[in-house]
Amino acid sequence: MRFSSENIARNVFFLCTIAGAVVISSILLFMIALGLPLFKESSFFSVWTGPWDPYQGLYGILPMIIGTLWIALPATVLALPLSLGTAFVITILGGSRLRKILGVLVRFMTGIPTVVYGFVGIFLLVPLIREGFGGAGMCVLAASIVLAILISPTMILFFSDSLTSVNPVDVRAAKALGADRVQRLLYVILPKAFGGMTSGFILAMGRALGDTLIALMLAGNAIRAPRGVLEPARTLTAHIALVKAADFNSLEFRSIFACGIALYLFTTTAVVAVRFMDYKRSVVQ
Amino acid sequence: METKDKIIVKGVSFFYGRNRVLDNIHAIFSKHTITAITGPSGQGKSTLLGLFNRMWDDVPGARCTGEIRIRLGDRWVSPLKNDIPMPLLRRKVAMIFQEPNPLPMSIAGNMAFPLKLAGVRDKSIIEEKVQKALAQAFLWEEVKDRMEKSALDLSGGQKQRLCIARALVLEPEVLLCDEPTSSLDSKAAGIIEDFLVGLKTSCTLLVVSHYMDQMRRIADKVMALQEHGLSQI
Repeated sequence: MRFSSENIARNVFFLCTIAGAVVISSILLFMIALGLPLFKESSFFSVWTGPWDPYQGLYGILPMIIGTLWIALPATVLALPLSLGTAFVITILGGSRLRKILGVLVRFMTGIPTVVYGFVGIFLLVPLIREGFGGAGMCVLAASIVLAILISPTMILFFSDSLTSVNPVDVRAAKALGADRVQRLLYVILPKAFGGMTSGFILAMGRALGDTLIALMLAGNAIRAPRGVLEPARTLTAHIALVKAADFNSLEFRSIFACGIALYLFTTTAVVAVRFMDYKRSVVQ
Repeated sequence: METKDKIIVKGVSFFYGRNRVLDNIHAIFSKHTITAITGPSGQGKSTLLGLFNRMWDDVPGARCTGEIRIRLGDRWVSPLKNDIPMPLLRRKVAMIFQEPNPLPMSIAGNMAFPLKLAGVRDKSIIEEKVQKALAQAFLWEEVKDRMEKSALDLSGGQKQRLCIARALVLEPEVLLCDEPTSSLDSKAAGIIEDFLVGLKTSCTLLVVSHYMDQMRRIADKVMALQEHGLSQI
């Protein structure tokens, strides 16, 4: 066996990959093991599909799963056009000064602590919703809007990177054929950047699914599945934050591991979806 | 202005920021001729070509002074004065580059692309024009059975002929060629040369080249771009 630098580097990277896979798998096994008492006590099925009422011995996390989807999906859908438009202006459509200003602003937004967005939501958005639509104002809509603003910079940066990484030779070819900026964007840049942009979209959705503070501060945290955007909801992450003070051996506490497994599955599904789409696109091209 | 004139360049200078790339260029290019432009590297030959279809337009800090007049049909236009819509200018003053640059789509998609940009939607017209342009580029027989295959799978010479055919599909009046054979082997380069000579009947060609033999073979006039400007040699 040769101890060349190439071999050493290859083995080190291989070990890093194995270590990463082991850690990620261990986290899942750890959550399953610690959640076992709950799965044994309640039925495995009822944990995922039942209601949450510890006083009645019901530890189902379905309301939290539905609450998470009610908040994260509209937030992602709201953030998409905002992020697309901003990314287009930053990379292609805007003048050089506007591009610079917007780029700096977006990077600045990524550095703002989540709690600041939460405060802005509480003091500006919640009263508006309360006065406009009635109710307490802390609801799915408030959390979704603020979450959309929170995840937009991530989406914008991913979109911008994907758009600017398109081969300039292709863009120049389209330009020489008479394509204006919008046509170059639509016919050449977007199709090439689609894979990277999809990854950005899914990752931003993952961030929306995993965010704790915004839902905790703005969604109202009611333990029932919302039936509309003006109703309060509790997300999986907010649930974890709220019950973690319970006794470690209580089934209530063990429910946080079920929540963890659900979040794990959401993220895994999203990543697999991205990989599958990338694969399909590479096969087509 | 004489009736045989196609492009007139008067006192053109070009700047990137404070850097002057072209200084006070004067030239006249006649209809249906091939003018080869040569000169040392870095003198701005490619930049000069790009002035005629305003390829520098979106480049930050780029600025051009002087006058360029191009006769398109019966009308004289001044690209530097923006008196012609940019997409129309680029369709009439087409350009091909040193590296073949087919778009990452099928051969048919590449050929139909400029027509779609120009607003042509009729499939039969598109098919007819595509076939004609490919035949003109001696490429139709080679690709007619694989039009839906990726253009990126063609050989280097075929890619360049595809790019020229794609530029010709809109029937341009001027074809700007920026070292069109420099990335090809001698056989493929020979085919492209013959093709360019054949285009003289429908186009005016400006060809940037470093190869004196090639210029002698194909050009009606050879001009050198040097520090003191553009002059005939």
